[in-house]
Amino acid sequence: MSLAVALFLLLNLVAALVAAARGPTPADRMLTALLFGSTGVGVLVLLAHAMALPSLVDVALTLALLAAIAGIAFARRAWHSAGQADD
Amino acid sequence: MIELAGNLLLLIGAFFYFAGTVGLVRFPDVYTRLHALAKADNLGLGCVLAGLALQADSLAAALKLLLIWPLALAASAAVSYAIANRAQALGVRPWQGEERS
Amino acid sequence: MSIGLAFDLLLAGALLWSAWRTLATPDIFRAVILFIVFGLLLSLAWARLAAPDIALAEAAIGAGLTGALLLDAIGVLRDRKRP
Repeated sequence: MSLAVALFLLLNLVAALVAAARGPTPADRMLTALLFGSTGVGVLVLLAHAMALPSLVDVALTLALLAAIAGIAFARRAWHSAGQADD
Repeated sequence: MIELAGNLLLLIGAFFYFAGTVGLVRFPDVYTRLHALAKADNLGLGCVLAGLALQADSLAAALKLLLIWPLALAASAAVSYAIANRAQALGVRPWQGEERS
Repeated sequence: MSIGLAFDLLLAGALLWSAWRTLATPDIFRAVILFIVFGLLLSLAWARLAAPDIALAEAAIGAGLTGALLLDAIGVLRDRKRP
């Protein structure tokens, strides 16, 4: 059951990957990376249950923390122009 | 009974994750996409974590699973605030509905 | 077992596609974002291969810290180019 839900979440990730390759502004691409972070936490927790590996929960914790750091770094340092795909 | 409730919570969480992804793909501008990402995905994560904590082996494992959720909530709130603040400072206009070009 | 096989195939396909897009895209910001995504998918692949320690290292270093450093480098590069 949990592996099936993990597969469904991975399908969501693939759909978001297409959106990341297409998205018009830099912020949309960064939001896709953040979506990968939160959905990746869910997939890792589900895998920890499905494969009976409790240490994967630690990986999920690290991922939840560090995806936020990447998001903050984007908002504070990398995002300079509001327009379309910057040259 | 508990396993049934856990599976039901997993399905609800998967639905909210799906809603978040659809919102990210379909919504028109940065603020609305941030809205879908910050709320729907964290609700999905909470449901999935609760469903897995119901099926966990021990109380410690269940509590550890449930501890991920406040961390994800705090991180998501901080990132959403930073990105929305930066978007407003850069002059990104919120989507008004009728002026679609 | 077929659900696991479908999961592995989809994960491998997404890994290969994101790696190719990371190398082939001309825009540097897009490449950085796709690199972060690639790191997350690679961490999922290590987790699926029952190697939690390598998945932990990949999630911390590959997806998190390298992504933050590369985004910071983009900001510094653009600051230096503008004046």
